[in-house]
Amino acid sequence: MRRPNRRQLFGAAAAALLALGWLAPAPVAAGDYPDRPITMLVGYKAGGQTDLVGRAAAKVLSDQLGVPVNVVNKPGGGGVLAAHELSKAKPDGYTLLFHTNSVVNTIPFLMKRVTFKPEDFEYAGMITSYQVGLATQKDAPYDTLEEFVAWAKENLGFSFGSLSPTARMTMDVIAEREGLDVNIVPLKGGGDLLNALLGHQVALVWSGGIHYKYRDQLKTIVALTTFRHPSAPDVETIDEAGYPLGMDGRTTLILPKGTPREMLERLSTALKAAETNETFAKVVAAANIPIMYKDLDEAATEVAESYARNKAIFESAGIEPR
Amino acid sequence: MDHLIIGFQNVLTPSTLFWVTVGVTLGYVLGALPGLGKATGVAVAIPMTFYLHPVAAIALLIGIAKGSAAGSAVSAILLNTPGEPSSAPTALDGYPLARQGKAQKALKMGLFASVIGDFLSTLVLIALAAPLASYALLIGPVELCAILLFSLTFIGGLAGRSMLKGLIAAAFGVFFATVGIETETFIPRLTFGLLELDDGISLVPMAIGMLAVAEMVIQGGNAQTLDREAAQIDDSARPEDRRVTLAEWRRCLPVIGRGTLIGAVVGILPGLGASVGSFLSYGATQRASKTPEKFGTGMIEGVAAAESADNAVVPSSFVPLFALGIPGSVIAAILIAALVLHGLTPGPMMFLEQPQMIADLYAAMLCASVILLIVGYVGQRVFAQIIRVPIRLIIPVVLFLCCIGAYMTTNSLFSIYLMLGFALLGFFARKLEFSFVTFLIGFVIGPNLELTFRQSLQILDHDPARLVGHPIALLFGLLTIATVVWISHSNNRLSARRAAAQSAGTDQTAEHSHI
Repeated sequence: MRRPNRRQLFGAAAAALLALGWLAPAPVAAGDYPDRPITMLVGYKAGGQTDLVGRAAAKVLSDQLGVPVNVVNKPGGGGVLAAHELSKAKPDGYTLLFHTNSVVNTIPFLMKRVTFKPEDFEYAGMITSYQVGLATQKDAPYDTLEEFVAWAKENLGFSFGSLSPTARMTMDVIAEREGLDVNIVPLKGGGDLLNALLGHQVALVWSGGIHYKYRDQLKTIVALTTFRHPSAPDVETIDEAGYPLGMDGRTTLILPKGTPREMLERLSTALKAAETNETFAKVVAAANIPIMYKDLDEAATEVAESYARNKAIFESAGIEPR
Repeated sequence: MDHLIIGFQNVLTPSTLFWVTVGVTLGYVLGALPGLGKATGVAVAIPMTFYLHPVAAIALLIGIAKGSAAGSAVSAILLNTPGEPSSAPTALDGYPLARQGKAQKALKMGLFASVIGDFLSTLVLIALAAPLASYALLIGPVELCAILLFSLTFIGGLAGRSMLKGLIAAAFGVFFATVGIETETFIPRLTFGLLELDDGISLVPMAIGMLAVAEMVIQGGNAQTLDREAAQIDDSARPEDRRVTLAEWRRCLPVIGRGTLIGAVVGILPGLGASVGSFLSYGATQRASKTPEKFGTGMIEGVAAAESADNAVVPSSFVPLFALGIPGSVIAAILIAALVLHGLTPGPMMFLEQPQMIADLYAAMLCASVILLIVGYVGQRVFAQIIRVPIRLIIPVVLFLCCIGAYMTTNSLFSIYLMLGFALLGFFARKLEFSFVTFLIGFVIGPNLELTFRQSLQILDHDPARLVGHPIALLFGLLTIATVVWISHSNNRLSARRAAAQSAGTDQTAEHSHI
C-alpha cells in the first residue's frame, strides 16, 4: 500500500515540475509584440470600481492585441505594492499596471517610504477619469461651496467624512481659511462612505465619484478636479470657487521604465479602442465614470504636469510625507 | 409575486440550474477543503462571471457564497481545521463529536442548520430587503460601536476553560489587528517599514495559519495516537450516531431559530460579517443552555448554533446591496461588478427598473438553498471517509492547500510567510491552552470597534451628552453592562460549584486515606 503511494507522489511532483518548466517565460522577442499572454496588475482588491474598469479595459486590449490579458489583483498601500512589483518586472511589455495615476502623482507626497517618482515608469495612455468632489444629501441647505461655508460658520462642530489624507487636507485648508470648526470622521471605503452619507451621519463627504449612483438622494456641491464633472456640468470646480486645490485622478496604463516605444504605441492604440467599445462604455456608464482618453505622449505630459501641480498644493498646505 | 413566478421559470432552466449547481458544488468543495474557501472561490469565479449571461453569473456567485459557508463546517468537524474563521465555533463541538465516532451526526446537523438558516434568511431578504435596508441606515457608527462592545461581552462564553487565558488571547487578537495604516492620521502602525503590512494583517492567511496549519502541526505530533484512536472509533456503526435523533432535533430547532435571527441581523448591519454572527450565536446558545460547562466537549447544539448563523449571514448581507447598492461583503462587491458589467446598477432604482432581474436573483437564491441540501448530503458522505485516512497522508495535503489559500488572497508570497508566523503562534496557543477563538474575535471585532469609536467621537463632537440622541446605542450600552454583571454572577456561582465539587473530592480522598 505504501509504495505505490510514494511512487504516485513522485510522479505527480515530476509532472508538476515539467508543467512549471513549460510555463516559464520564453526569451524576449521584440519584433512581433505581443505573441504571448500579458499580465495586467491592478493595485486594488477584486470587485472595486478601478478593478471593474481595469477588467473591462483588459478585455478590449485582449481583443485588439489578439493575446489574453490576465488581470492579477495586487492590493496594498493604494497601489504602492503593485507599483513596486511593476518596477521589478522586465520592461518587455508583458507586465503592466492598470491604476490611477495618483500612485505616482499623489502618494509620493504622503508616504515617506515611497521612493519612486513619475519618471521611474513609462505610460502607455489614460482611459477614464475619477469625478472627485464634495458630496452631500439632496435636501442639505447648501448647493455650492460658498453656501456651505456660510452654513458651516453657523454650525460649528459639523462632521465631514474623509477617506484619505488628501480629503483631510482639502477640508483642513478650507476650514483654516474660513475659520470653521470641523470634526473629521474617518471613513473606510466606498460602502462606509455611502452608509454615512445616506444615513445622515455626516454633513459633507469627500467622494471619489461613487455618490453619482444616487442622483435622487445625493448631490455634488463642488468638483475637486480641474475640470467640471460630465455627470454634473453645472457644479463649479474648486479652483473656480476660489481655492486652488484641484487635482485629477485618471486610470493609466503604467509600464516598467525602459519599455520600447513601439510596444507603448501598440498598447496606446489598443487602449484607444476602449473609447468606442460598446461593452466598455456600458461598464463605465453604469458606474458614472467618464471616458477621457489620452495617448502615450499626452499621458506622459499629464503625469508630469499633475505631479508638479500636486506638489505645489501639498507643499502650500504644509503636508509632509510620513 | 408574479415576477417571482416568472423568476422561477427563468431560473429553472437547465443552463441556469447548471451554473447554480456548479457554484454550490465549487463553493462546498472549496469550503470543505481546509485552507481554501470563499476567497479562493471568488478568485476562480471572477473571470468567469465576465463571460456568462447575468442570471448565470449571479447564480454562480451566490452558489459559491452559500456553498462555501456550509462546506467550511466539514473541515471544521472532521479535521478541526475551520476553512473560514466563521466556522471556528463549529469546530469547538464538531471535532469532539467526530472523535467520538459521531462525525456523520455532526456533519448532518451542520448541513441542516446551514440550509435552514440559509433558506429562512433568504426569505427575510425577499420579504424585507427594501424596508430593512432603510432601518439599517439608522445604525450609524455610534450604534455600531455599542453593538460591537456588546458582542465582545460574549468572549467570556467562548474563552474555554480559563477566563483569564481567554482574555489574554483576545487582547493579543486586538493587538495584531492594530497593525497597518491608522485610519485618521494615516501613519503606519507596527509595520516595520514593510509595505505589505500597510493594509494590516489579512484575516485569511492569519486564520489559515492559526487554525489550520497549527492544528496540523499538533496532529502531526500526535499522529500515532490519533491513528490508533481512528482505527478504534472509525465511524460508529450505531444508527443513532449517524443521524440526528428526534430528541436532538427538538433541542436544536430553537437554537437554529436563534442562530438564523442573529445571523440575519448581523448580515444586514454594515461591517460585521459572518464571523461575528457565528461567534454571537454560539455564545448566546451556551449562555442560554442549562449545561453551559458541557460546551466544547461535543454538544450538537454548538454545531447547530454556529452553522445556522454562519449561513444566515450570507443572504442577509445582500440586503444593503439590493436595497441601497452598498456591498455588505466581498461576494456582494463582486456581485456589484457582475451586475454593472451587464448594465445594471444595484440600488433602490433596480427594484423599479429591473424588478424581473431582482426576482430572478431571488429565485436563484432559493434554488441554491435546495441544491445546497442535495450537494451537501451527497458531499458529506464522501468527505466523512476522511476520518479513515491516516493522518500522515492528510497533513501534507492540508498544508499544500493552506499555502494555496493564503497565496491567492493577495497573490504574494508574503501571505504565506504571514500564515507560517501565525501557525507558530497558533501552535503555542494550543499547547498552552490559550483560546484561539477569543483571539479571532479580538482580531475581527477590534479594528471595527476602534474605527466606529473614533467615528463616534467625531460625530458626537466629543460631547457624551449627545449620546441621548442615540437611543439604540444607549440600549446596547445598558445590555452590555447587564451582561457583564450577569456573567460575573454566574461565573462566581460556577466557580463556587466547582470549588464545592473539588472539596468534596478531597474529603473523599481524605476518607480514603483513613481507611
